Amino acid sequence: MISFIHANKKALAVVGIVVFLAIPLVVDNKLLIHLAILGMLYAVVASNWDLTLGYAGVFNFAHLAFFGIGAYTSGILTVKLGISPWLGIPCGAVAAAIASVIVSIPAIRLRGIYVALLTFACSQLVLLLLLSQPLITGGQQGLTGVPQLQIGDFRFRESKFAHFYLVGLLLLCSTVFLRRLVTSDFGLSLIALRDFEEYAIARGIPLARQRLLAFLLSSIFPGLAGGVYAHFLIVASPDIFGFSLAILLLSMVLVGGVATIYGPVLIGVVMTYVSELMASSAWMSEIFGVSRGPVRFMFVAVIIVLTMRFFPQGVWGLIKQYSARSRMTEPAEGEDRV
Amino acid sequence: MLFQIDNLTSGYGKIDVVRSLSLHVDEGERVGLFGPNGHGKTTLLRTVSGLLPVNSGKIHFRGEDITGLDPRKIVELGLIHVPQGNQLFPEMTVQENLTLGAYIARTDKGKASNFEKVFALFPRLKERRSQRGQTLSGGERQMLSIGVGLMGMPELLILDEPSIGLAPLVKQELARAINEIAASGVPMIVVDQDVELLLSICERLYLIEKGTVSLETADVSQVDQAEILEMYFGKVTG
Amino acid sequence: MTPEAIVAIIASGLVSGSLYALMASGLSLVWGTVRMFNFAHGALVMIGAYSGWYISNRGGLAKVLQPLGKNITTNSADWGVLGDVLHPLGEWMLSAKGGFGLVVGVPVAIVFCGLAGYVIYVLLIRPFVGKPGADLIVIITTIAGASFLQNGVQVLFGPRYKQLDRILKGPPLEVLDTAIGLQEVLIIVLTPVTLILLNLFLKHSKLGLAIRAVAQNDDFARLVGINVNQIYTLTFIVSSILAGLAGLMLGGLFFILPTMGAEPLLRAFVVVVFGGLGSLPGTIIGSYAIGLIEQSSAYVFSLYWAPVVLFATLILVLIFRPRGLMGGEES
Repeated sequence: MISFIHANKKALAVVGIVVFLAIPLVVDNKLLIHLAILGMLYAVVASNWDLTLGYAGVFNFAHLAFFGIGAYTSGILTVKLGISPWLGIPCGAVAAAIASVIVSIPAIRLRGIYVALLTFACSQLVLLLLLSQPLITGGQQGLTGVPQLQIGDFRFRESKFAHFYLVGLLLLCSTVFLRRLVTSDFGLSLIALRDFEEYAIARGIPLARQRLLAFLLSSIFPGLAGGVYAHFLIVASPDIFGFSLAILLLSMVLVGGVATIYGPVLIGVVMTYVSELMASSAWMSEIFGVSRGPVRFMFVAVIIVLTMRFFPQGVWGLIKQYSARSRMTEPAEGEDRV
Repeated sequence: MLFQIDNLTSGYGKIDVVRSLSLHVDEGERVGLFGPNGHGKTTLLRTVSGLLPVNSGKIHFRGEDITGLDPRKIVELGLIHVPQGNQLFPEMTVQENLTLGAYIARTDKGKASNFEKVFALFPRLKERRSQRGQTLSGGERQMLSIGVGLMGMPELLILDEPSIGLAPLVKQELARAINEIAASGVPMIVVDQDVELLLSICERLYLIEKGTVSLETADVSQVDQAEILEMYFGKVTG
Repeated sequence: MTPEAIVAIIASGLVSGSLYALMASGLSLVWGTVRMFNFAHGALVMIGAYSGWYISNRGGLAKVLQPLGKNITTNSADWGVLGDVLHPLGEWMLSAKGGFGLVVGVPVAIVFCGLAGYVIYVLLIRPFVGKPGADLIVIITTIAGASFLQNGVQVLFGPRYKQLDRILKGPPLEVLDTAIGLQEVLIIVLTPVTLILLNLFLKHSKLGLAIRAVAQNDDFARLVGINVNQIYTLTFIVSSILAGLAGLMLGGLFFILPTMGAEPLLRAFVVVVFGGLGSLPGTIIGSYAIGLIEQSSAYVFSLYWAPVVLFATLILVLIFRPRGLMGGEES
């Protein structure tokens, strides 16, 4: 079975993607489609976060801020200046990229715990700045009246498919981009710096430049996703910077498996489903009543701790380990062709 | 027999540094270990005092099996290890450092008289008792390290490279002090590069090479000292 | 700036500084000893406030005991010998209608915080001590722990705000024509007392000496027979109790809610970065400095801008002095 999967990895990936793309054609449940869109957006952020957290080994807590900056930039430009969302979204990505450079300049000079503190402080600073300008950003209530995406007279929110396929495409591009990046020389140099810092530097890998690039390259897709998020929900809210979303996204990276890209993508979608369904399911509200919202975050917290304790390599790491072992013990016919 | 190591193997992670090493110390005896650097002497001592896990083999002290015991339990039994490199608590005073040497309950009774003994042995520590550890000179730090060890009322005192990096005069002063401790009847294991110093203190010597005992002398008072020196240096150059 | 404004700024700066000092000294102590950074420290502040409220307030434990007490007193006659034993207990439950007061609430809250800190240490930190990358793993597990506690408290107590009784009741103190509330005065006075007690404990008690020894040289500490794991646990409990005290003080000033620990925790981060992690004097000086800077910038700029000024300063400090303004070189 496992060897079969291995032999037909590419074919299976294509089948998987086709099945996923067919979801809105088959499924008629609006909530499920909505969650899939949300899940894919979070998966974009989580997998990009994995580039700095997993591959570069930089303990960066500012990634949600890049997502938030994308959302607010596009939101403010479209609401206050009236530009098209299709222009606003790339502007959000540019703003996120600029922010990533600003954060990384001090961050690359620091180590361990101090990186965590600095990036944490930076994301809080962004939030405080947003809250301090309620006339522009809407303050605590968030920026409302963000225009929805449309092409000509075709409004995205009126269609079941439009957002799904747009976000799906974004996730696909982001994942292909990240996978190419981490298997490139650049990706290898990041891993070298993470695992054998002194040796890598001695071999001429520029630490500061590579880490800065890692920040920059991992901020673009979250910036784009943030813009899409704001236009999809027609609101940019300060909740993006909140503790709860940070925990949820962190769980996607960790449970999925750090330094895997595929793990956070996969678990990003799954965790969104699980956690949102917990918040809305009938049996949850029967047991916990109005408390079901907090209960789901307690659940996420427990998952994170158990993962760190017992499966630090995450789901994708387990899959890889298992398939590697089965490949060693039962070499399949298909293996010869590889 | 006071102390015995049988076929001990230990090291860091999967790399064995000490390889099936055996040695022993008799009651009231002082034993010296010497040999080239990086051949496992410090690793051996760290394993004996419980800082490193034992991969295989046995360690017995006063008839008790202490293999793999917690360092705290080993200290409570009276096996005191004074580590290499002037180890102390740098931001604490000399007095506080010595107080911590008598941390375990066994030493509560003799604490006051032990302070007296240490200060009598190292008068310089008495002068500097309210000075912080990091402000002391190299020799004074080494004295303090040994002093902290003595506060633990050793039944067997292990000194790791006490003379390393010291100027000749300071070394002499230290050698005198160690001899004084020895004269008071405390059994010892002393590791040092300075074979002459070891010969002045110890009754028997072990040469440690490649993680194991490669030579063991008989009672050094029975052997020609020059012969031992030649044996060691001859080995190193040859 | 009028003299009244200056007095007001100093008073409120000292209050904030006191709260930050209680929180940050615990964080710093744990960092110096266990080499871990506890992101659940803010949740412990919240636990301190809630447990104090639950015991002291009439809406907490006392309210739960009322129906129970009534049940026992009315039915105990039918229970024979058991009833005779339980009857006074029921009476006692009924008599506690108004809550148990702060006299009981504060000590219980302190004990409970120590216990909560112990549980956090055992579940979220101890399993990772000594493993590679443990300091970073622990950030994640303690963030998860903080989220668990915050949401758990919301499930238990609901989102409605609570408030602790004020310990001192009476008219505010007049200093240079400026009114300062008695609760504020109490905080300003009690915090230095607590910190001095902490310092005496660390300097002169056997366990305090051992905590400092482990922080300075853990290998050598093992060789003098200190049980390093026990000292880690103890340090964590002491730090948790300090956080709980901060919570009790905060709960007497503002409303108690599940997220109340998050804001002061952020400030405590700023403080430890300013003062240098692991340095207790640096941390305490930093706390008061931050409190005063924050309150004066709130006066000069606006309430909204004060935190912006604070975090911008933090980032600048980190850029130019990566080990903190007063932090030395790490060995």
